[in-house]
Amino acid sequence: MRIEKCYFCSAPVYPGHGMKFVRNDCKVFGFCRSKCHKNFKKKRNPRKTRWTKAFRKSVGKELTLDYSLEFEKRRNIPVKYNRELWSKTVEAMKKVESIKNKRQARFILNRLKKGKELEKAADITEVKKNIHLIRAPHAGHAKQLEDKMVQKLAEDVEMDE
Amino acid sequence: MALYNFKKIMVVPTAKDFIDITLSKTQRKTPTVIHKHYQIHRIRHFYMRKVKFTQQNYHDRLSQILTDFPKLDDVHPFYADLMNVLYDKDHFKLALGQINIAKNLIDNVAKDYVRLMKYGDSLYRCKQLKRAALGRMCTILKRQKQSLEYLEQVRQHLSRLPTIDPNTRTLLLCGYPNVGKSSFINKVTRADVEVQPYAFTTKSLFVGHMDYKYLRWQVVDTPGILDHPLEERNTIEMQAITALAHLRAAVLYVMDVSEQCGHALSQQLELFNNIRPLFANKPLIVMANKCDVRKISELSEENQACDRLLAHRVDTKMKTKKVHDVLNRLHLAVPTKRDQKERPPFIPEGALLRRKAVEMDAPKRKLERDLEVELGDDYTLNLQKYWDLMNPEEKQDKIPEVWEGHNIADYIDPEIMKRLEDLEREEELREKAGEYDSEEESEDEEMQEIRQLASQIREKRKLKILTSKEKDTQGPRMPRTAKKVERATLEKEMADLGLDMTDKDDSHYALRSRSLVRKRKREVSVPPMSRTRSQSTSRPPRDQSGVRDAKMLKKVKTMMKSSQKEMNRQGKKGESDRHVFDVKPKHLLAGKRKSGSTSRR
Repeated sequence: MRIEKCYFCSAPVYPGHGMKFVRNDCKVFGFCRSKCHKNFKKKRNPRKTRWTKAFRKSVGKELTLDYSLEFEKRRNIPVKYNRELWSKTVEAMKKVESIKNKRQARFILNRLKKGKELEKAADITEVKKNIHLIRAPHAGHAKQLEDKMVQKLAEDVEMDE
Repeated sequence: MALYNFKKIMVVPTAKDFIDITLSKTQRKTPTVIHKHYQIHRIRHFYMRKVKFTQQNYHDRLSQILTDFPKLDDVHPFYADLMNVLYDKDHFKLALGQINIAKNLIDNVAKDYVRLMKYGDSLYRCKQLKRAALGRMCTILKRQKQSLEYLEQVRQHLSRLPTIDPNTRTLLLCGYPNVGKSSFINKVTRADVEVQPYAFTTKSLFVGHMDYKYLRWQVVDTPGILDHPLEERNTIEMQAITALAHLRAAVLYVMDVSEQCGHALSQQLELFNNIRPLFANKPLIVMANKCDVRKISELSEENQACDRLLAHRVDTKMKTKKVHDVLNRLHLAVPTKRDQKERPPFIPEGALLRRKAVEMDAPKRKLERDLEVELGDDYTLNLQKYWDLMNPEEKQDKIPEVWEGHNIADYIDPEIMKRLEDLEREEELREKAGEYDSEEESEDEEMQEIRQLASQIREKRKLKILTSKEKDTQGPRMPRTAKKVERATLEKEMADLGLDMTDKDDSHYALRSRSLVRKRKREVSVPPMSRTRSQSTSRPPRDQSGVRDAKMLKKVKTMMKSSQKEMNRQGKKGESDRHVFDVKPKHLLAGKRKSGSTSRR
């Protein structure tokens, strides 16, 4: 029992799901759903189809080079069952997963930071240019003037005294 | 050697066929559609391709002919001589030479015409050049008609020559015509040569094969040789002479003892002496044939020049050997005893035991089937008990395969704990370095305010767009001034924008309400003080409504004037006047184009 990876979108294919295609040169292609299968038949390149993991990795949107990713690797030589090794592996797997997720999330966060800066700048320019839509230019000026005059009068009165 | 190739020579077509084949091939394999209006380089390329294609075809076929035919200098001298005898070496070489010349001429023609084609400037010219080129090539080939015919005949004859290998063991039969050479070869080999009472039944060389002492022997039958000098020999005899001269074989000189061939024994002896020089370095056997007709003993003692080996005796000897052939091939090799030690054959103990066990027919280990029968319904196939693990008590473990979408088998690694430690160390370092700190910049209040304002602006803008989209642009349009602006809406809008609209009763837009209030008093009507008052005071004159102050008034007036300037200049009645007085003015559109460019009319 193995969970395969979809050839097109790199999603996990559980047993009993998806389709497999065997080509004349004996290469096997597994797909998670008919969407990926149809795209493959249309000869689309997964590295250019924007919603696939292959595209995201090739274009740098996701974490590619990391030690935590080297743990999960398809091994072609089976190892004999050994209870101790298996139990250790399961524990290690859990830890590695948590670290891997943390790192991937951090990578994406860092990538999106730039956007935040741009948002800030956009807000500032927006306010500068279009403030007239929500605030009249001399809003509150009348009141200010009045206050100033009142203040001045008060001062004059004081001075007189 | 070159033996095999004689059958593989390509068919040499006649000149007419050759031309037809090549021209039709050119027709079929090159593009055929061309038009006058194509670009000249394309037309040139089209015709050049045809010329080159034809030249290529001719060249290839002629080269193949030249290489297929054997070169007389390269083949075994036996074949060279044989071919000389049969086809005349000079004629052969000449024919091939002519073919070679034709090939070169064709190449030159093609080269010249391709060069000329580069200067062809129309379809017609290029086509004529191509016609000329192909015509010349075909004429060259027409002149080779004789050579090609001759070569075709040579090829057919060559392919029918018997395959005589000049290097293997050969027996050569020679002698007068009709002495019994062909009968002998028929008897000894599986060959089926024609045997007839007249002389020169055999007109060319024949080969048969036989086995002797587990080896293959070639037996070559020749046409008879008559006794006259070399120069007078005809083609048929020359073949025999050639064979004698070049093949390294054992020669069997056959003599007819009964003189049934028509030549006396003395004549045969004479011939033997004449061709003796050809027998140098070759083992010679003189065969006395047709002994059944006339016994050797009946020969007069004068004829004792011939040796006494009887061919028939040899014949019968060989025949008996054939019967024991198969048995003779089997032979058990036993090593010779080198000392007195006994060396019996060795059989391993296990084999002996097994043989005994088979005989005893004892039951072996308990089979699964036995177990199944024993347990009946409770039986479950449990193959895990046969596993070969390091700790046998783990055999019945349920092995986990998958965890949360990952295959455990992908993580199995004897060094996984070490690597995990490295990873965790790395992670600690990173955390210490502060990579995972949540960077929430406490934005200053100013920034927050700006953000809020920006979002408000965006919302307001969207609303405006929506309201403008909801307008009915297709239906009847009323000018903006037709609808009265409600004081309440105006004051609400301005209040939203932040202005203070509380005390605006005596503003210019609130006149009506004021006047309304006034009119209710019903006092003695005061005479109008100015003309403006007699008019309905609710409506201010157009050039004053909406105008705040003198500065604005001035600006408004200038805007009005500037928008009308262009229209006045063009003498239009208003902004909707699109009448064109002279749609097609004659002075612009009539007349010939004299000097000047034709870019516009």
